[in-house]
Amino acid sequence: MEIAIPPDLVFVILAAVTLIAAVLALQAKELIYGAIALGISFIGIAGFFVFLDAPYLAMLQIAVYVGAVVVLILFTIMLVRREQSDELLDRPEGGQGAVGLWLAGLLAVAIAGVAALAGPNLPAAPPAGNLPVSSLGLVLAAEYPIPLVILALLISAALLGALVLAKVEK
Amino acid sequence: MALNPWLTVIIWAIVVIALTGPMLTLPMFWSRRKPDPFRDMPFESGQVPQGEARHRLVMQYYPYLLMFVAFDVVGMFLFAWGMSFTKIPLYASFPVLLFLFLLAAPLGYALHLALRRENW
Amino acid sequence: MVNLPATPADLIPFLFAVITSHTFIQIILFPGFIHVTLVTAFLTWYERKIIARIQLRIGPLYAGGPGGILQPIADGVKLIFKEVMIPYKADKPLFLAIPLALVVMAALPFAVIPFGQNWVIANLDVGLVFVFAMISLFPLMILIFAWASNSKYPFLGGLRSLFQQVAYEIPMWISALSIVMLAGSLSLVDIVNAQARIWFIIPAFLSFIVFFISVMAELERLPFDLPTAEPELVAGWFTESSGAIFMLQFLALYMKMYLMSSLVTVLFLGGWWGPAFLPQPVWFIIKTLIVATFIIIPRAVFARIRVDMLIRIGWTRLLIVALVNVFLTVLLITSGLTAILGM
Repeated sequence: MEIAIPPDLVFVILAAVTLIAAVLALQAKELIYGAIALGISFIGIAGFFVFLDAPYLAMLQIAVYVGAVVVLILFTIMLVRREQSDELLDRPEGGQGAVGLWLAGLLAVAIAGVAALAGPNLPAAPPAGNLPVSSLGLVLAAEYPIPLVILALLISAALLGALVLAKVEK
Repeated sequence: MALNPWLTVIIWAIVVIALTGPMLTLPMFWSRRKPDPFRDMPFESGQVPQGEARHRLVMQYYPYLLMFVAFDVVGMFLFAWGMSFTKIPLYASFPVLLFLFLLAAPLGYALHLALRRENW
Repeated sequence: MVNLPATPADLIPFLFAVITSHTFIQIILFPGFIHVTLVTAFLTWYERKIIARIQLRIGPLYAGGPGGILQPIADGVKLIFKEVMIPYKADKPLFLAIPLALVVMAALPFAVIPFGQNWVIANLDVGLVFVFAMISLFPLMILIFAWASNSKYPFLGGLRSLFQQVAYEIPMWISALSIVMLAGSLSLVDIVNAQARIWFIIPAFLSFIVFFISVMAELERLPFDLPTAEPELVAGWFTESSGAIFMLQFLALYMKMYLMSSLVTVLFLGGWWGPAFLPQPVWFIIKTLIVATFIIIPRAVFARIRVDMLIRIGWTRLLIVALVNVFLTVLLITSGLTAILGM
């Protein structure tokens, strides 16, 4: 059974979910709702990765960002949270919101203009090599050994720094 | 059967929601729903609840949480390497082993802290 | 090959083709919904029966069927007709939505579990990571539910669930890494196919031990049932749930137990492979139920440990053993021993 799904429809749905969740994450009155919306936004991005034939990256997105980073954010919210803090949160005033919307609209017009002007003349994207997931490690270890080691140094440094900060905080 | 496996997963999710959703929504129609301030109180060993339930946490185990986030990323990279370990020459695995070796330093430091302090 | 219906007259043949298609039957019947819920219901009865036998009791008996096997139906009917009580300070939408999300999260990974050579709903090439990603969302959901119920005991239980995830998840991934190295793939079908000659429990025994302990912690089974510790936290994170909400949470927990047992079977016990006189799915389910038995028995045997002990065990024992096992696997593969064993 062959069911073709229009790619544009998938893109629009995923973009809508991601963007609306991201806006909710910024606008939520209750910080916990903000964290949940952030998680949904991350899942939307994972959907994009699946859609773009990068399922491993999508799973990394869900496991690391939703499964660990959102957990860390929730934990931190509960760590610093007080009931009275709601009034202390400064809501963006009307003027700020209008400026933000105006800037976003300007950016959208600019991108649309560039796409309309340059889009037809651009060379077609090179076809994505149909790499199976299992060749990911091959590419990683054979072609990018230096970035891998730099990544290890970066994670080590971040971890040590976080540990030292958490230790001083106690 | 040329259905994309991800599409099948999505259909499976829809089927699960469609078949378990009624278990939650249908009882709303027929079960008794009569608010009672005493019965709907949060359980606190039979006492009237006192104070705030969502209390502030102490910063216990926070460094472990940080380590958890970092090692989640590490684990994902290791899976990518492990899939193709038998397919690549052995010398290509040395950067990954160096990767692990470099991460042993913060892990050792964290465990040193954790074991020296009592309530980490 | 079926085309989407163009006219109303085509609708009936189209629906017929959909319902009789292989994928649809798999989703609804065998590795799909009906099979999963039936085995999950069976597991609730099976656990009560085993615990009763260990404690020299009889267990459920009067609900009908041999040994009261219809007990789960009785429980379900009871729970579905009970009133859903929502604590008055609770966050209502989250309180109602999270139990459903838990069931969906527990059921989604069944799509990639191969119950036989062709009995898999979707053979994703990232199957193992898909399962790990889905179950890593559980403690997050539990924490949100605990926060939503706005009561002290659930909140403590939810936090413990989070700490538990911090303790078990990394050792679980690293111990599964050596299986991925041996099989050379993340697809669960490929992993089982690689075990046609020799089960991975033999070359990766240390990793099996670490993985099994992590699974026990993941399922909140008894030495590690901190989030629902009854003597300490009343009922942990489901103190405030009742009726249908409790039923969905219970369903999610036992579905996850079936899921993790079948994951152990896939990774270490050769999946569907067995002598040919029984069909493949039967071998798979037999092995899974044996694993589930070993997950259930400690509930009647062991005492609970503390949170700090669990975290310390996870990071100083399980993680180190899992990393050592990764190096052993590297040695095993590079020394050519796996080639001699025919893997």
